[in-house]
Parts: sequence; C-alpha cells; structure tokens
Amino acid sequence: MSFETFSNLVAAFFTLCIFSFLYKDNPFYQMAEQLLVGISVGYGVVYSYERIFIPWLYQPIFIQHKYILIFPALIGSLYLFRFSKNLSWLSRYPIAFSMMGVGAGVPLSMHAGILVQMRQAMVPLETVNLLLIFIGTIAVLLYFYFSKAHTGIYGKFTTIGKWYMMIGFGASFGLTVMARISLLIGRIQFLVGDVLKLIK
Amino acid sequence: MNFFEKLQALDRRYIYIVVALAIIIPLMVQYNSDVVTTPPTENLYQLIDSYAGRSDRAILISFYHDAATMPELYPMEIAILRHCFERKVKVFTMTFYAAGAPIIDFAINTVKEEYPDIQSGVDYCNFGYKIMPMITALGMGDNIATAIDTDAEGRKLANLPIMKDIVNYNEMNLIIETSGSSAGGTWITYARSKFGANVAVGVTAVMAADMYPYLQSGQLIGMLTGLKGAAEYEKLVDVFAAYRDENFPQGRPFSNEILRDPSINKLINITTQTQAVFSPQEYQAFLSKYPEQAVSLDNLKEDKDGQVVFDVTKISAEQQQELGYNAWTALNKKTYNILYKFKTARIGMNAQSIAHIMIFVFILIGNIGYFVTRKKDKKV
Repeated sequence: MSFETFSNLVAAFFTLCIFSFLYKDNPFYQMAEQLLVGISVGYGVVYSYERIFIPWLYQPIFIQHKYILIFPALIGSLYLFRFSKNLSWLSRYPIAFSMMGVGAGVPLSMHAGILVQMRQAMVPLETVNLLLIFIGTIAVLLYFYFSKAHTGIYGKFTTIGKWYMMIGFGASFGLTVMARISLLIGRIQFLVGDVLKLIK
Repeated sequence: MNFFEKLQALDRRYIYIVVALAIIIPLMVQYNSDVVTTPPTENLYQLIDSYAGRSDRAILISFYHDAATMPELYPMEIAILRHCFERKVKVFTMTFYAAGAPIIDFAINTVKEEYPDIQSGVDYCNFGYKIMPMITALGMGDNIATAIDTDAEGRKLANLPIMKDIVNYNEMNLIIETSGSSAGGTWITYARSKFGANVAVGVTAVMAADMYPYLQSGQLIGMLTGLKGAAEYEKLVDVFAAYRDENFPQGRPFSNEILRDPSINKLINITTQTQAVFSPQEYQAFLSKYPEQAVSLDNLKEDKDGQVVFDVTKISAEQQQELGYNAWTALNKKTYNILYKFKTARIGMNAQSIAHIMIFVFILIGNIGYFVTRKKDKKV
C-alpha cells in the first residue's frame, strides 16, 4: 500500500468519524474531535519551535553570538508567568511592548477602515448603485440613532434602513449556506474522488 | 396529521441523506455547465495576466488558512498558480499561519507536476511560514529580501535568480490573500495604505459579505468568492492562459468578446474528453511539426465527416512511446481534456447548483407548511 493510499484511508476514516455525529454523538466522533485539537496544538508547537525559536533566537544567540537578543527573549519569556497566580502581573510587560504594534496599526487601520470608506460614500451620485449605497448608508445610520423616536416620516425612512439590513442578512445567509455546502462538497469530493477514485 | 405536519416532524437525519445524495449524484454523474465570470474575478485575472513574461513584476499569494477551509480556497490557489506558471508570471507564496505551510507545498507540487520547466527560486519562491504580519508587511515595503531574509528551503533570498529586478511592492505589486477569516486585513492596512500595493482576496463565501465594502471602495482590486470564485478563475485560465495556437504560443490575453464567443465551449468542458479533432489543414500543420511520427499518426487517425479524429483512449502505451513525449502531449492537448485537479471547483459547482435548488425547495415547502399550519391553528 502506497503512502498516499494509506494517508487517504486515514483521512477517510476520520472524515466518517466526524460525519457520524449527524446520526448521533458517539465515541468515534469524540475521538476524532479530540485528536484534531491535540494534533493541531502539537503541530503548532513543533512547527513554531523549528521555524521561530531555532532560526530567530537559538541560532542568532548561540551561533552568531548576537547576545543583545537575550533581552527581548527574557522580556518575551515573562508571558509564561500567566500560569502563575502570584506572578501573572509580570506578563503585562511584554504586553506593554506589543502595544507599540497596536499604536503603529491604529492610524493605518483608521485610514483603511474608516477614511477610505467615508470617501467612497461621498462620491457624486452618478449611477443607480451609488444612489442606493448613499440611501442605504444614511438610512442604516439613522436606524441606530435612538435619541429621536422612530415615528412619522423619520420612522418610515429608518424602516428603509431596517430593510437594507434585512437584505444584507439574507445575502449573508445565502453566502453562509453556499460556504457550508462547499465544505461538504469538498469532503465528498475527497471520499468519492481521491479515496474511491470514482470522479475523473 | 396532514402532509405538512408530517414534514415538519420529519427526522432531520432524512434531510441529511437527501443533502448527501444531492451532492454525491452530480459529482459522480458529471455534466458540462457554464460558469459566468464576474468583474471582481476578471479584474484579478487581468492584473496578474498583465505581469506575464515581465522580470520586474511579481505577485505574492498569502495562504492564511488551514485544512478546514481548503475545499473553497485550495482550488483558487491551484488556479492562480496555474495561471502564473502558464503565463510565466513570477510568484511568491507565504503564510502567517503555521498550518498553512504544508498547504503551500501541496499546492505548488500539485500544479508543478504539469510544468516540468518551472523551477523553484527562478519562476516561483516559497517564503514559507513567517511571523509578525505587521512588521513583515511593512518591511517588505522597503526591501523584500531584507524583510524575509530566507525562503522556506533556507536559501538566502537576495541570492535567488527570481529576486532579480524585484525589490519591494513597486515590483511585487499584487498581494492575494486566501483566507477563511480576516482576509487581506494586514495587507490592506499596511501594504495598501502605506505603500499603495494592489491587494486582492480569495475568501470563503461566508466571509464575502464582509469584504464587499473594501471591494466597492477600491481597496481590493479583485475578489474570488468561495467555490464560485474558484470556478470562475479556473474557466478564465482554460480559456486564456492555457490556450495555445500558432498566434498565441504562450496563451492569449483576456478579452470579453472571446468570453462571449460560443467557440470557447470546447475549452471548458468538464466531462472527460477523449477525441482530438483536426481539420485537414490543422492536421497537415500538426504533421509538419512532428514529421518523424507521420506514419504512426496516419495509422492511428480516423476520418469522420471530413475531419481527422484521434481517440486517445484507443492509443496503447507502446503506441504512445512510439509517438514520443512531445507529439503524444500535443495530441492529448488537442482533446481539450481538463485534468481533474484543474476543474475541481467547477465539478463542485455542479453539485452546488443542485444543492441550492434542493435548499430552495426545502425553504419553500417549510414556509408553505408553516403558513398552512398557522392557518389551521387559528381556525381551531
């Protein structure tokens, strides 16, 4: 038996174990679920050790003698004190350093997530799509303005905002169904195509 | 208990069986169907295609997902890599997600099998698993070779031939992130906002609604949405990048007119194609390319309605050897048969279509049942 056939059979077995939950909860499903969690963590730890700890810390310090890296390594290792009740406060120091990254990210995130989006909502209403986006933006924003009662013409306009959101939820639901079916298709393609070789 | 009440009390496991059958049957009984391409997919395709054959342009594919979302994202990655290999576009790959690293190797090796001339470090380069997305994305804006340092095989990036003429985002001007969660977030925020790099995403369908505002505001130049997006891209690659004739020996450029032309139907059949059909002129041209195989080819051909036809399933292994690798590959190519790995998404979309019709019927029956039952309850 080739390695590919063997690995396909293992994957097929665990796929069926997970699918067995559709009938009812059972030990095979639980075994597969817990193996997934365990293997994911184990893989992450080993891979991070090989690809991060060794080339970014061990080799620079012990082979290239970049001893300055000992300081950030020590600060980083303070994260491990999260596991201690009495000394968990020490883990706040590396968090404080990582806040630099957050600081650097805020202006650019504001630009990408807010300013550019606002600019795009302020373009001339030359097409029907732009008009619909404009009305939708205003109506939905007003729907969430609760300092004025949603009555009269104002109430009717905010109802338009509600309808916009309903259409959005419907689209999201449709896309979610599509995504879930796609995942099932992928697994069945694997079982029928790769394992049973019935798709060509 | 009437029909609708019985339906509403139906054990959900029967519904699971119906869903499974609605997917298994169309997967096994294949049929040809068209996938209509959409502007977000076409825009991404055209931008990648504009880099064809250029040493000073490259793309980066960021695999930000694990095996759980592979059914939707993996066909996209395969299709984009195939496009790059067909059209000689320099391509880099990387991941910020440890579980994404083996998927990159799997994808590259799967596509590379069909392109023996493509070389690591020359035509493509896998940066592998990298940490600290923000720092990496910002660093690449200054100098990619400095920010990445070594590739997944441990080679110094600055020494690789692929890095010739590639310095930063001015050259590696397109980043495509495939992800099942926050696709493109890092690249839109850092590479796009600060350096003006083009960003595109391939997302699972469930994430698409979140990405449309970025597409509409021009921060994303293109987007592949779930299995449908992958199927669209597969089609574009078959119609343009993988197309070969005397005028276009390296694939042809994108054109909306060609997409509307019925002649492309023979290029996008997803059922198994076994017959290579030549007009007499095409056959003469083919013979002139392979004059030493002329006798063998003449023995194998059949004449049907004035056309020269070869059924490749009737050509034995010995006869294939006699024809030689080049002639046999060229003959096979003329069948326009698409390898399974390059049509996975389109086969999946056939099943998707049937499943959607089935779900639509379920929703319809469920709603009718609900209103009928409510009306009955009111009467009581």
